Amino acid sequence: MSVSSISDRVLAGTRLDRDEALELYLDCSTSQLGRLAGAVRARRHPAGLVTYIIDRNVNYTNVCIARCAFCAFYRPIGASDGYVLGFESIFQKIEETIAVGGVQLLLQGGHNPDLPLDWYEDLFVQIKTRYPDFKLHALSPPEILHLSRLSQQPVSVVVERLVAAGLDSVPGGGAEILVDSVRRRLNCESKATAEEWLSVMRQVHLSGLRSTATMMYGSVENPEDRVEHLCRLRELQDETGGFTAFITWSYQPPNTELSGVEATGIEYLRTLALSRIVLDNFDNLQASWVTQGGKVGQLSLAFGANDMGSVMIEENVVRAAGAEYCMDEAEIVRNIEDAGYVPKRRNMVYDILGDPLYRQQSIPRRTKLAVARRNGDAIAPVELSRYSARSQFGKQQRQAIDKP
Amino acid sequence: MEVFVPMDEALTRALQRIEQSVSLEEQDWEALTAGSDLISVGLAADEARRRHHGDRVTFVQVVEVPLDNAEASDPIPEQAGEVRLVGRPETVSQTIKAVKALADWAGVVPVTGFALEDLLDLCGNKSEKLERLLQQLRQAGLAMVSRVAFDALGKPEPILAALRAGGMDVASLCVDSPSGATFREALLEVASWKRVGTVFRSLAPLARMDPDLPSTGYGDLRRVALARLLVDNIGSIQVDWARHGSKLSQVALTFGADDVDAVSAVASSDQGWRRSPREEILRNIAAAGLTAIRRNGGFEEVADEG
Repeated sequence: MSVSSISDRVLAGTRLDRDEALELYLDCSTSQLGRLAGAVRARRHPAGLVTYIIDRNVNYTNVCIARCAFCAFYRPIGASDGYVLGFESIFQKIEETIAVGGVQLLLQGGHNPDLPLDWYEDLFVQIKTRYPDFKLHALSPPEILHLSRLSQQPVSVVVERLVAAGLDSVPGGGAEILVDSVRRRLNCESKATAEEWLSVMRQVHLSGLRSTATMMYGSVENPEDRVEHLCRLRELQDETGGFTAFITWSYQPPNTELSGVEATGIEYLRTLALSRIVLDNFDNLQASWVTQGGKVGQLSLAFGANDMGSVMIEENVVRAAGAEYCMDEAEIVRNIEDAGYVPKRRNMVYDILGDPLYRQQSIPRRTKLAVARRNGDAIAPVELSRYSARSQFGKQQRQAIDKP
Repeated sequence: MEVFVPMDEALTRALQRIEQSVSLEEQDWEALTAGSDLISVGLAADEARRRHHGDRVTFVQVVEVPLDNAEASDPIPEQAGEVRLVGRPETVSQTIKAVKALADWAGVVPVTGFALEDLLDLCGNKSEKLERLLQQLRQAGLAMVSRVAFDALGKPEPILAALRAGGMDVASLCVDSPSGATFREALLEVASWKRVGTVFRSLAPLARMDPDLPSTGYGDLRRVALARLLVDNIGSIQVDWARHGSKLSQVALTFGADDVDAVSAVASSDQGWRRSPREEILRNIAAAGLTAIRRNGGFEEVADEG
């Protein structure tokens, strides 16, 4: 089928199959691909609104046994710069977030064998007790799977216990590319196969929670794999309708074992546009300004995105791979309006919360994103001694806390 | 392949008026610079660019040398296509001496340097003196003046005359001001100039960075596209790889730009991992679906030894 007739099908609102999507990605010019994605986006969002959320991206630990080859953030057990955030530290971050109008924490971290399920439950319960209206968008599918393995409880039980403790929604991290041959090459198949990732998300949706979905492209996969990834997400969305949004970003090579070079800005815009076209059952696509920078982040709005993502406040994972972009609320709003759209604050399920907050109250400008912990902060918070550790290092660490 | 997506009426009208060389009215400018339909403006600019340049993109790899340290001793980097003197000249003799020293060092690699407005200032704003200085610099080995800011030109005729008489071209005519009104005025003014295409070798439409109020992606691409659509008497529309970054610059190549300035000639981690030696620029141009052509500081195509 020609690109022209595939384009006609897109404009007519007809779903593309894998072959058509691939042909469009490979053969359509960048501008034309953007124009098609823009048309699909306009059909779904005719009011010309662009949304964003004020929340904080907190990574509770960088200790991880998954050892993904594309990750610059993780540290092995026993590393001198491995950390676990203390509960008090997380509460302080929440209070800082609430002070600037934030409504939730995006909480993710490494697969740390020394943090058992009850550590998460206690943390969530305490957060909800202190900040009952504050939302917890936490624990990507591989983290939930890790907790299932660690606790030897089924995923459904782990999800149930986390929901009972206060989990509100689940971020779509850890999807990378949902093709097992790619996951093997990225050394991330053991943390979750493609089917396992999808199956955890299915369970999350069945339990009544909403989630996002993601794709990290530009590592070792090919365009066919990207299309396969998008189609697998589309199939699960047909089944559950549980995804609120999709976010794609490029692999960030610096400081990783895999190394390599980052995909270019045009590859990002083409991948985003294709995602908008293929994911015809997703309402929202977010711009990844944290990996692409503010300018290409803003250009995402011309290539199918209808959401500028999060103000973030804090970021650790992408920073570990060398990218340090920052956009505070005022800057996000300026970019949305400059692109001809109307900015609106939202929550995780895309309820509109209102107009830009910084125009209603004084909020200090932020030119740099915060980090998980400052130099000198404790690496092993005292409450860790209440929780069992599995690693030898973790056990010794507990003893050291008990007998300072 | 043209994808038919209905376009805003005002934007359609504005683009038709550009195609028909009809003067733009206020509502046309509004449609071109304020709407959310960036892609349609970019498509029109890309078509115009392809009429002039096909799928070719030229780029130059530059070694910058500070004027106060012009006696370079290391071998010239293998990938250098241009040696550029940077800094504000203080005296005529210092300026000529620096050019001579660098020309000896650079060998066959063209030496460029200076902002034309600084040279004019050195000459007490006298165009006759400027003409003489340009001749001296040419004899000393300067292939081209690096840049001139549109804002600094004032009435361009005497300066153009001095450049022609001095046998000197300017690599980049830059519209530095971030102001939209100044940009619009600059495009209309430059488009009205006669016989300038051989004196100003490229038009660089992107504003100088303002750290307090950075330009936006939409704003930058609109400037590139409008420069391509409205100025047809200067052949190249240029983006600066180092200043504007690889991602924005690469996208600009699909919105009307055809020349990339300031690609580093040195692959050094000291310059930050996002800086762009040869492989990065070639990869970015190819990923944009375009063909990379290496040029030197004299705007001459250079065979690529790999």
